[in-house]
Amino acid sequence: MNYFKYYKSIILICLCSLVMANVQAQNEWEVTTEQDKNLSPFMFDDEMVLEGKISYENSCTSCHGMPGQADYTPMAPPPGDPGSNQFQLQNDGALFHKIKLGRGAMPKFEDVFADDETWNIIAYIRSFNENYKQPIPDLGGVEIPKYDLKLAFDENVDKLVVKVFSKEIPQPEVEVSAFVKGTFGKLLLGKIQTNELGIAYLDVDPKLPGDAEGKLHIMVKATKGYALAKLNQKMKIVQPTIRKSAIEGRHIWSTDKMAPIWLKVSFFITIFGVWAVLFFIVFGFRNIKKAGREDDVMIE
Amino acid sequence: MSKANKNDKSRRKFLQNLGLAGVSAVGGTALLLQSCSDSKDSASGKKVKVLTQDNQLVEVDVANLKPSDKIKDLDYLQDRGREGIPGKKFVMVVDLAKCKNARKCMSACQNAHQLKPEMHHINVLEMNDPVRKTSYYMPKTCQHCDNPPCVSVCPVDATFKRQDGIVLIDNERCIGCRFCVAACPYSARTFNWTEPKDAKEFAEVTYDMELNVPQKKGTVTKCAFSADRLREGKLPYCVSACPNGVYYFGDSNEDLVTNGTTKKTVRLSELLEENAAYTLMPELGTKPSVYYLPPRQNKG
Repeated sequence: MNYFKYYKSIILICLCSLVMANVQAQNEWEVTTEQDKNLSPFMFDDEMVLEGKISYENSCTSCHGMPGQADYTPMAPPPGDPGSNQFQLQNDGALFHKIKLGRGAMPKFEDVFADDETWNIIAYIRSFNENYKQPIPDLGGVEIPKYDLKLAFDENVDKLVVKVFSKEIPQPEVEVSAFVKGTFGKLLLGKIQTNELGIAYLDVDPKLPGDAEGKLHIMVKATKGYALAKLNQKMKIVQPTIRKSAIEGRHIWSTDKMAPIWLKVSFFITIFGVWAVLFFIVFGFRNIKKAGREDDVMIE
Repeated sequence: MSKANKNDKSRRKFLQNLGLAGVSAVGGTALLLQSCSDSKDSASGKKVKVLTQDNQLVEVDVANLKPSDKIKDLDYLQDRGREGIPGKKFVMVVDLAKCKNARKCMSACQNAHQLKPEMHHINVLEMNDPVRKTSYYMPKTCQHCDNPPCVSVCPVDATFKRQDGIVLIDNERCIGCRFCVAACPYSARTFNWTEPKDAKEFAEVTYDMELNVPQKKGTVTKCAFSADRLREGKLPYCVSACPNGVYYFGDSNEDLVTNGTTKKTVRLSELLEENAAYTLMPELGTKPSVYYLPPRQNKG
């Protein structure tokens, strides 16, 4: 009897603590003002949205579903739809902080994503909000520079040379990333900062197959703070490759329409030859028989 | 008398019919004009970017978009399907170390190609390794061989290899002899023994051999490397559905393959060499376009 009482109280305590935990979980998820005011060091663009989409689909969809579809996993507390007002009315800094540190069932992604990757995810989430305008911090009168990019290829060392200018002044310490565009994605050539002359050198494998003219589709992106420049250019870098059709000059079909002429000719020659020999023999026999009859007539 | 009466009646009837026809013609034209003006006025304000046939990007209002008639034209689709995409040679790389039997590839494929649950263009098999006494999962699809045995046995030229390396089947030509099913050493082909899934829904759809939909009872069906998606520059259904990063897909002429999950692009030759890639049954000389990276014991 006594034991039973104990059990009862234990169960009661457990239940109470569960309720408490739930209440705790439904409390406001507070972030400090400093964290809330944290702004993205990059301007959100299509590329960031695309990268963010990939990260989101790999790490967030399982609980939050597709943004805007409200198809999140039913949990207590509900994970919520990042396309909804519940998320979109928050500041970028708050979202950044919450993704980074997590709470309760929401894991912390601090060790999973680098800061720029987290900003990519926020860029993706914000792409579902048409009214969103990215806040830019007060730069104290400093103008965001406009970069001009110039590409060249140094054949002697097989390096892509990227020169970054702003109003014809070389820009040092600009983050330059270069890619080769493929059919379904882009191959990263490298990520490097420009030197004091505003030049970045990136390795290109000369064995990379180009198109019929030996050109590669190079995509270059230069960023520093809020300044961003992109350039797409086809450059003659590698040896031209001849792209052969997988079926050219081949006859892997069994239909006569597709058969090569030599096969048709030799086939018909063989068939006619066999028939010719047969007829020759038959005629020969006939002639022998005929000759035999003539002999009989002559004897008579 | 009676004859005259009859004539009278028929004349009256004729005039009546003429009147009706006239009214309906006027009404029909009015309706048609109305619908024309409607379609011009009701611009939704939502614009999309579309690529025209001469490769120019134009922005069009959503309301003005109409499905192209060409896509409904069987002859056009048949020619397009036979022709293939010039300059490409598609390859797939399957990383067995990453496959966890999520089977998302299978369901994505079956949804796209109107397949019943027991029919597979791609199938994830459990393979037992008798030496290590372990098992691993192996997604198996059509190998899109460079020397396809199925193609050379087809008596009606229904299955064929295209210039981009894809082996397709044309339902319109297939007579259901199943020689190809017998010839394929990889068991990649299946037969529509019964009416396909949702046959009624697809009854009016024009047959597109690149998608192989609508399926037809009494014909053979097989993996098409999602040729319809490749035409749009997208990765195949199975590749983009995989949550575990098993599939790489790309163009071997470019020597680049892109992972369907992480969207990371790597060099094909390096990927194959560094991971000791192999093909299935190389001793048959079929030269598959699907490569496998062996499963690893200490990873995944």
